[in-house]
Amino acid sequence: MGIYLFELKTIRKNTIIWAITLSALCAFFMSIYPAYASNEEAVKEMLKGYPPELLSAFALNVDTLFSVLGFYSFVFTYIIFCGAVQAGNLGIGMVSRENRAKTSDFLLTKPIQRKTVLTAKLLASLTSLVFTNIVYLIASTVFCLTITNTEFDVKALVLLSLTLFFIQLVFVSIGTLLGIVFQKVKSVVTASLCLTFAFFALSMLDSFIDKNLLKYITPFKYFNSTEIIKNLSYEPSSLLTVLAVCTVCIFASYLLYIKRDVHAV
Amino acid sequence: MSVIEIRNLTKTYGKSRGIENVSFQVEEGEIFGFIGPNGAGKSTTIRTLLSLIYPTSGSATIFGKDIIKNRTEILQDVGYLPSEVFYYDNMRVIDLLRYSASFYKKDCTAKIKELSEILELDLKRKIDDLSYGNRKKVGIVQGLLHSPKLIILDEPTGGLDPLMQAKFFDLIKAENEKGATILFSSHILSEVQNVCNRVAIIKEGKIIKVDKISTLRDSAYKRIAVEASSNIEKEYFALDGISGLELDGNKAKFLFGGNLNRIMQKLSALELINVSIQEPDLEELFMHYYK
Repeated sequence: MGIYLFELKTIRKNTIIWAITLSALCAFFMSIYPAYASNEEAVKEMLKGYPPELLSAFALNVDTLFSVLGFYSFVFTYIIFCGAVQAGNLGIGMVSRENRAKTSDFLLTKPIQRKTVLTAKLLASLTSLVFTNIVYLIASTVFCLTITNTEFDVKALVLLSLTLFFIQLVFVSIGTLLGIVFQKVKSVVTASLCLTFAFFALSMLDSFIDKNLLKYITPFKYFNSTEIIKNLSYEPSSLLTVLAVCTVCIFASYLLYIKRDVHAV
Repeated sequence: MSVIEIRNLTKTYGKSRGIENVSFQVEEGEIFGFIGPNGAGKSTTIRTLLSLIYPTSGSATIFGKDIIKNRTEILQDVGYLPSEVFYYDNMRVIDLLRYSASFYKKDCTAKIKELSEILELDLKRKIDDLSYGNRKKVGIVQGLLHSPKLIILDEPTGGLDPLMQAKFFDLIKAENEKGATILFSSHILSEVQNVCNRVAIIKEGKIIKVDKISTLRDSAYKRIAVEASSNIEKEYFALDGISGLELDGNKAKFLFGGNLNRIMQKLSALELINVSIQEPDLEELFMHYYK
């Protein structure tokens, strides 16, 4: 309990900043929507000039872009990108923070099992993500309803927004594992940005070649927004992939963390 | 009962040396010195005991319990002061100490107050603002606040001024008198000499001697200095048992171990102006073991 609260306190400020940033980002993007929608023909004309592969790489779907949900799922790609950076930070920082501050000696000579330490840290990160998503979910729904002034299916919006949480779970899990494997991470933010960019580039590449080859490789491709809007539900394979990746990463993290030697600084 | 029992503990790190077949016991209530130069394997041994690192082979028990299987149970009664202390920045001293105390199943408030008063540690300061010596004090309080039955000190005095060092040793002795067993690693012999009952000497990852301080000192080694009326030939002291011979014209200094009569005969054959025969300090014995 002590470690959980301590960790929570450590990441509290960042959590609040991220929750506000993601919500503000959503407000900003949605505030563009009315202008977009009222100039539908002009925008369509402009987009015709670009090769279709490029448009799909940037998740631009001309057919749906002018509905609230279509526009939202386009801009949401970038919100998810930021959310992934946040989750990556949490994961990578979790254990490597102790290595950088050289506090592992302090923490790991206390009468507490290493798995308890890791569990407390994971739960604190999870709490941070849940908080972020609650704030984001409320904020995004409110913004979409008030700013766009157009009818749309709120359930679809919530389902779309919730994918942020699942993708963050994946990134926090991968980050945790990376933070344990690479004990000497110098800058958490840099590492997290690299991780997120790498997966993002892969997902752009996948959209570009349009073969769905990397569907299970990059977390940005786990959920298909068009399908979610159409079916008002997640594909089971999406959720299973999230579950599988998280389980493997967390399990490996525990194994490594419990077994590894903590060297003097 | 042995508080610490180490049996053939070996830890190898890829290419670099760790420790090899380290075995010794620390008995209840004693202050046990663990001596060796930097890199000899003192910290490796200690970190293995605390299960910060895992042994390649061999085993060890603390309070009769296995260091790996019963880790948390053991740590409940162990206080550890690492050679270099690092703590979470952006925290006040008292917050860190409370966080530390929260891991133990007892109320440590009074002890924190008592220790910080003795060490003149300001509990309200931020840890970031503390000097190295003051951080060390935080380490000491942190290591002792739960009145551990076993205190493990890894080169504890670095960064403390002589006055604080004296206070620190008084604290350690007081804890010892209350029943705590102490394992004290150091490369400074004089400090060990004054507080420890027994010592283990480690060299290149291997224990080369475990003995009482008094035995080590009494072990027939004498530091002998003579001044003769005429120059002393180098060959004159070519005798078994003499080491560290320093000749300077008519003066000679050396360490002698063995039958005293042999050296006395040799000395009496000289025309002496001055002679002194002293107990060597551990430093000299240590150099002797390290040759």
